[in-house]
Amino acid sequence: MGEHETTGIIESIVERLPGNKDIYFWNFIVLMVFTLFEVGAVFFETVPGTEIRISRFAVWTILVIVGIVKGYGIAAYFMHLKGDPRIYTRTALFPVLFVLLMLWGIGLSNPEAITELPSWCTPDWDYATSR
Amino acid sequence: MAGAIVTIGIVAFAALGLGVGSIKHDAYDDAKETYYEAMEDPTVTQSELDHLHHEEIDAHLSYLTYWVAGVTIMVISIIYAIFLGIGGFINSIQPQEEESHGDDHHDEHHGSASPIIFCFGVLLFLMGFPDFVEGLRPLLSQGGTFALGNLVLSTIGLTIIMIGIANWWREDLPFIGHGEQIATSAPFEGEHIRKAGLWVFIMSEIMVFATFFSSYLRVRTEWCTKWAFDNGLENGKPVEGCVSQSQIDLFDAGEVVTGDVVMTASDYLRPGGAAGTGDFWTMLPGAVNTFALIISSYTIVLALKTAKAKDWEAPKGVLRHLLPDKKTAVRNYLIATLLLGSMFIVLKLVEWSHLVAEGFTVGTSQGSIFYVATGAHGMHVFAGLLIMLYLVFKADTIGYDEDNGQGIEYFGLYWHFVDLAWVVIFPAFYLY
Repeated sequence: MGEHETTGIIESIVERLPGNKDIYFWNFIVLMVFTLFEVGAVFFETVPGTEIRISRFAVWTILVIVGIVKGYGIAAYFMHLKGDPRIYTRTALFPVLFVLLMLWGIGLSNPEAITELPSWCTPDWDYATSR
Repeated sequence: MAGAIVTIGIVAFAALGLGVGSIKHDAYDDAKETYYEAMEDPTVTQSELDHLHHEEIDAHLSYLTYWVAGVTIMVISIIYAIFLGIGGFINSIQPQEEESHGDDHHDEHHGSASPIIFCFGVLLFLMGFPDFVEGLRPLLSQGGTFALGNLVLSTIGLTIIMIGIANWWREDLPFIGHGEQIATSAPFEGEHIRKAGLWVFIMSEIMVFATFFSSYLRVRTEWCTKWAFDNGLENGKPVEGCVSQSQIDLFDAGEVVTGDVVMTASDYLRPGGAAGTGDFWTMLPGAVNTFALIISSYTIVLALKTAKAKDWEAPKGVLRHLLPDKKTAVRNYLIATLLLGSMFIVLKLVEWSHLVAEGFTVGTSQGSIFYVATGAHGMHVFAGLLIMLYLVFKADTIGYDEDNGQGIEYFGLYWHFVDLAWVVIFPAFYLY
C-alpha cells in the first residue's frame, strides 16, 4: 500500500493472468476465497457431496494454514511490507520474540503457573494468601 | 453531513428498533405466552414443549436482532454527528490563507503535542474507569448509590482526549503534502517519521493482542471443552478432570458418551457446537464481519490508489455515477470503508446480545476472555471509524491527491492491522 513496486513469484503469476493485473485486486480475491474455505471447514461436518467426515485435526490444520496465508496477504501486500524497506518488516516482527515467549510461558504453561504463584510474586493479592 | 448522518440513525432506529422491533416483540410475547400455557397443559408432550421453547427462543433472538441493530445504528450515528460537528467547528475557525502572516509553510506538518495530550487523557480515563463504571450503574438503574465523585476523573480524561483529537484535527486538516517530516538518523533514516511512528505503534498493538491471545490459550488448555472431550475419547487416553477411563471404555463399546463440558463461544455459534444452538444463522454475523473487514481493507487500498493516481480516469458504466471524478471517488471509497466498518460494529453487538440471551455472559472465564478480546478488537475498529470519519471530512473539503495521499496510507496501515488481528481472533474464538 504505497509507491513501491514489488517483484517476486506471486507478482509474476499475477502478470500472466488475463484481465486485471492489479496485485491488490488478486490479493483481495485470494483473501475472500480463503475466508470462504475457513468458514466452510467449520460449517460442514462432512466434505460436501460425500460422507467423508472432516476431523477436528483437519479443521485445526485448515484454520492455521488459512490464517498464515491471510496474514501474509494482508501484511505483505495490503500493508506493503514486501515493497517497503526491510526496517518496517523488522519492526513488525520485533514483538514476535515476546509473543513466542508469552505463548510458551503463559499460553502453554502448566495450568497452575498463574494461580499457584508464590505469595512473594503477588503481594497484596487476595488469592495469593488464600491459596 | 452531520445532520444527514443523524437522520439516517433516527430513521434506522425508528424502522428497525421501533417498527420491526415492536412487531418482533409482540411475536416474542405471543410465543412466550404459548409456551407457558403449554407447560401447564398436561396433554402437551415433551417434544411439543421443546419445540415451543425453541420457537420462543427464536422469537426472542429475532426481536433482539432488530432492537439492538436499531439502537446501535442510532448511537453510532449520534457519535459520528458529534465528532463531525466538532470537526466542522474547528475547520470553520481555521485561519484563512491571507491571514497567515506571510508564513508560506502553515500547511506543513510540524511536531505536534496532540499525541501526548491524547495519551494523558487516556491515562486519566483508565485510572478513573472502575469508579466511572460504579458511577454509571445507578444512572442506568443497575443499583447502587449515585456519587458524582465517581465520574470526575474519567470525565476529565475524556475531555482531555477530545482536546487532543480536536487539536490534531486542527493541525492536520490544512496539510496538503508539503513538508512531510523525514527521519534523519538510523534506523528509519530517509523514511517519513509518521510512517515509522505508526509501525512502532502497530508493534505495540501486536503485543496487546498477543496478551489476549496467550491468556486465551492459557485458559483454553485447561478447559474441558467438547473438542477436548471428544479428542480424549477418540485417542483413548484419560484426561484428568475431563475424560475418565470408564467413559473411554463405553465409547469403545459403541455407546454415546456425554460429559460435563465447558461451553466456549464457538459452542454456541458454530454448527455442531456443544450448546446445540449453532447453525447457519448464528455463524452468519461473524462470517459476514470477516468478509466486511477484508472488503473494507480493499476499499481503503482503492481510496489510496485513486488519490495517488496521476492520470485517474472515471470508470465506465454504472460506477461512473458513484465515482465521477477523482475527489469524489476518494471520498466515496472512504465512505464505503466507513459503512463496512460500521456494519461490523452493528453485527458484533447483535451477536453479543444473542450470546448473552443464551446464557454466555461475561461472568464466566470463557465469557470474560471472549468479550474482553473481541471487545478490545471492536474498540479498535470503532476508533478507526472515528479517524475514518475525519478522512471522509478531509476528502470532502480539502481533498486527497498524490501529494497528501499518504494520510490515507498511514491510516490504512492501522486499518489493515485491525483486519490482521481479526484473522487470528475469528478462528480462535468463533470457529475453534
